Amino acid sequence: MAVSFDYVAKETAANLWRNRVMALAAVLTVAVSLSLVGTALLLRQVVNRQISQWSNNVSLQVFMNADATPQQLSEIRVLISQEPQITGCTYLDHEASYLQAKQVLAGEPTALEALTPAITPTVFRCQLQNANDAPAVAAIFNGVPGVFQGHAQYPAQSVRTMQRITNILQVVLLAIAIVLLISSLVLILNAIRMAIFARRREVSVMKLVGATNWFIRIPFMLEGLVQGLIGAIFAAGIVLLSNIGVNYLVRRYLSSSTLPLGQLISTEVVVVLIGVVVGVVGSTIAVRRFLDV
Amino acid sequence: MIRFDDVTKSYLPGIDALAHISLEIDRGEFVFLVGASGSGKTTFLKLLLREETPDSGSIWVAGRDIGRLAPARIPYLRRNIGCVFQDFRLLPNKTVAENVAFALEVIGRPRGVIKTQVTQVLDLVGLGQKMDRRPHELSGGEQQRVAIARAFVNRPLLLLADEPTGNLDPATSSGIMKLLERINKTETTVLMATHDVGIVDEMRRRVIQLEHGHLVRDQARGIYGDASGTQLRGFSSISVGAVSGDDEDLASMPGRQTRARRGRR
Repeated sequence: MAVSFDYVAKETAANLWRNRVMALAAVLTVAVSLSLVGTALLLRQVVNRQISQWSNNVSLQVFMNADATPQQLSEIRVLISQEPQITGCTYLDHEASYLQAKQVLAGEPTALEALTPAITPTVFRCQLQNANDAPAVAAIFNGVPGVFQGHAQYPAQSVRTMQRITNILQVVLLAIAIVLLISSLVLILNAIRMAIFARRREVSVMKLVGATNWFIRIPFMLEGLVQGLIGAIFAAGIVLLSNIGVNYLVRRYLSSSTLPLGQLISTEVVVVLIGVVVGVVGSTIAVRRFLDV
Repeated sequence: MIRFDDVTKSYLPGIDALAHISLEIDRGEFVFLVGASGSGKTTFLKLLLREETPDSGSIWVAGRDIGRLAPARIPYLRRNIGCVFQDFRLLPNKTVAENVAFALEVIGRPRGVIKTQVTQVLDLVGLGQKMDRRPHELSGGEQQRVAIARAFVNRPLLLLADEPTGNLDPATSSGIMKLLERINKTETTVLMATHDVGIVDEMRRRVIQLEHGHLVRDQARGIYGDASGTQLRGFSSISVGAVSGDDEDLASMPGRQTRARRGRR
């Protein structure tokens, strides 16, 4: 099969131009759906990075009773030094822990008013070797005289809430994206069907003079591929923009660093590949169903 | 060149479009395929192009059993067969030269070859001067010449013509027939389905007649109606009465007069 590049390029371009309205509809739908896909992917990566960072920050806090004696405090220090899991500790005295508490309770003025440095529990804040052992290590301190509570502190509640919200958001985005992808597939299929119909004379002459099936099919399939690709390139641009937005939000509200370039690039590659696949699948179905060669 | 071995084809159960056809056509022959509409002529041509496959029997073209041809090989069969139709089937948005070149382009011929062959074949059909016209700027006869050029440009072994003169006046038709004869002289087998009594009777070539899917006559140097005259007689005995009655009615109509006068001019 000697399909000349010239011929195929010329035919594909001519087809696209002849069918430009349909092609535009298909391209735009691909662009919209793939930007949603890309954005959802970006979002997931950002959230995963943030969550993994938080999980590494799990620490153990041993809250002492406000009236714990120096004797009790030194016993706790001994316990801490004996515990191999604990890699380091800082002790917050009344003043320091009062300052912390003031930050935590910033939104609750009444509670804050009642709080004085003297009644604020002092805290040992410890880092652990392995975040997973935090509950077990915390249990050691519970019940020791002078200890109010040993507490494995995850950045817990907020992480779980965020995870849940982003999961829902992702599912919604992906569901919309899938619906749009299916409709862009159908639009491409229809665009190619129209192209085949518009060129039925050419096709019948081609069959008559002995053009091979692939020779007849390839320009149509390429047309679908180009539609998918152009849509995907638009989408890649939009994903680039939404990456800027996501980065801004990360810097503003989260402690993790912005997405590395590698992850952005691989997201873009995925977006473009999906576009190409949608184009090829749509046009292949059209060619199989409507071009009986 | 062509051999039909007991070929039967039916589209509807019980009704044979072609029934037990066996015949042979040699290389370089010029053959007329005649018969009323629905007698199976078109099916005959479609079988040769592998647009249809026979229900039973086998068809050989250039030494190949084309019923057993793998689908992927069908295009290569068609490259050896040129086709001409009553309705020309030219592409309206391409020029004469582009129409002919298209047939070579889509089978992947290099551009240099295409250019020389197109020029050559257009000179052969006498349209060398009109290469850049579009089909709608040409007369019917000229359009059919373009179609013949397109069918012949690839030098096929076999040229199929399905009523090529069906849309043309007698003078133009005889020009087309001269062209087909010239092509036939290059050892190209020509198989032409036709209703044109005048052409068949004048050319005196082999005539194959089909009737309701049966081969009823295969005659060297034949005429349109068969030798015993049954077909013609039957045909005319029906039509004479009907037509003569119509004639009187028509004679009284004013339009008829006008047409007759125009004809005389």
